[in-house]
Amino acid sequence: MKILGVTSCPTGIAHTYMAAEAILDAAKAKGHEAKVETRGSVGVENELTDEEIKQADAIIVAADTDVPMERFAGKRVLEVSVSNAIKDAAGLIEKALKAPIYGKSGDTYDEVQKIKAQRAQERKGAYKHLMNGVSFMIPFVVAGGIAIAISFIFGYDAASNEGTLPAYLMAIGGGSAFALMVPILAGYIAYSIADRPGLAPGMVGGMIANTMGAGFLGGIIAGFLAGYIVLAIKKYIKLPKNLQGIMPVLIIPVLGVISTGLILFYIVGTPVAAINAAMNNFLVNMQGTNAIILGIILGAMMAFDMGGPVNKAAYTFATGTLTAAAGVGSTVMAAVMAAGMVPPLGLALATVLFKDKFSPAEKEAGKAAWVLGISFITEGAIPFAAADPLRVIPSIMLGSAVTGALSMLMGCTLSVPHGGIFVTFAVTNILGYVIALAAGTVITAFAIGFLKKSE
Amino acid sequence: MLINQNLIALNLDSTTKEETIRKMAQMAADEGRVEDIEEYVKAVLRREEEFSTAVGFGVAIPHGKTDAVKEPLLAFAKVNHIEWGAPDGKPVNMVFLIGVPESQAGTEHLKILANISRKLMKQEFRDSISNAKTAEDILKVLKEI
Repeated sequence: MKILGVTSCPTGIAHTYMAAEAILDAAKAKGHEAKVETRGSVGVENELTDEEIKQADAIIVAADTDVPMERFAGKRVLEVSVSNAIKDAAGLIEKALKAPIYGKSGDTYDEVQKIKAQRAQERKGAYKHLMNGVSFMIPFVVAGGIAIAISFIFGYDAASNEGTLPAYLMAIGGGSAFALMVPILAGYIAYSIADRPGLAPGMVGGMIANTMGAGFLGGIIAGFLAGYIVLAIKKYIKLPKNLQGIMPVLIIPVLGVISTGLILFYIVGTPVAAINAAMNNFLVNMQGTNAIILGIILGAMMAFDMGGPVNKAAYTFATGTLTAAAGVGSTVMAAVMAAGMVPPLGLALATVLFKDKFSPAEKEAGKAAWVLGISFITEGAIPFAAADPLRVIPSIMLGSAVTGALSMLMGCTLSVPHGGIFVTFAVTNILGYVIALAAGTVITAFAIGFLKKSE
Repeated sequence: MLINQNLIALNLDSTTKEETIRKMAQMAADEGRVEDIEEYVKAVLRREEEFSTAVGFGVAIPHGKTDAVKEPLLAFAKVNHIEWGAPDGKPVNMVFLIGVPESQAGTEHLKILANISRKLMKQEFRDSISNAKTAEDILKVLKEI
């Protein structure tokens, strides 16, 4: 690790240098590389360079005077009094390595957005392609699901009266937005694999998967199929230079679309449709113990890595059940969203109930966690989990598992894939849903209170 | 020279923080380093009020930056367990008093003080000061800086 420090005291004669020495010694003892900038009466010595700051894992600012801070934006920065560094430099190094990212706003919400963006960038391979498809699909599912949910407000079969508002809403949501979900999913999986030429074969493949009844699962397969077929065409079909212009407008679209379509019709479409039907059947008929077990597993997955691959796997599965449910709502989606809301909510509650177990910065982050939680942004729990993973992650998994199980047990359904408490109108058995959410939140908070030591 | 034999007291007779600072300031005044002893003591105590200059390990480094100081000075005294509000709660038995003129032009002295401050964090350095039997020994240890 590379640790940087800045020390400064009001008179700038003694403590500045003692603190610097303490940090250097403690870092050396732990085997870290370290450099400390001293801002004393001699002036600024050992000034940190931009390059050093860029490479640093953590920065300790032990100062009782103003220190220029803008240069540390984006790094883990711990700010303390100079006497803290003399007292316990070793402890400060540990804390600094887990310190929040210093930013111009220094806001938890921004930090969470940064983590989300960073994770999106770090995605690799098939997971990255799938997530690209899912992220393009989500707006269609949200808009469609909400249009359908509003239509249902007029009565369960209000949409059957042609030419009425509920009928139009159903046509917008179910007939159009939902119809585009699987093609968009497949299209943007292929886009992620093969770039722009992948889009057309992918979308057409998704459309075929839809009509064959292969649904969400078929769409994923169509997307990957189309993407890799286009890659293969680009690699193996070589045209003379003067004809290369027709590759993207003629050769790739025609060959890509037709071959993807034929493979779906002749080979993979039918078995995938059968699997899809069986899975939907299983989910629709699932009750009692099986439902609870599924709720527990999905709930724990949602909390496990807070927006990472495991969380996304559970979430993608739930979104798939939603497309299969075609607007009437899915118990799995309901359980997954509730379970994904619990980690930030439980932590926020814990910062209120167990004030002495959280640092002032964490208590501040707790306030943001309420907002992130009700918005179904599970990543809101990351600042806490990063600081104390072994206590926080089991606690949130426990709470989310309970919420997932309760939501499944009480048969709550949800017809949209995102939105947190702002889409409660798309939830059936809202009372049960609130109970499931509250139970998980309280259990998470108490588990953390029980496991976490006082600051 | 920042420090000389007359600025070292191997067994300073005092019972409080203020008395210690006052007596050591007197040593400095007797050497002609401090012009206005009242003003200097006030500056040092004001600095103590911000937070204690006791740094743990039985060491305190009271210091003042004021024009009441004519020439940069370092004074050292061994004292008998004086309560100094140290972060580790231990009483102080080694005191380094530092004085610097406000309008200090050269930074050479400040650099030496910075070095002593750094050294104070080392167990080895504290031990050799602590084990020194005579003022000469202490001067020798400090000169090695």
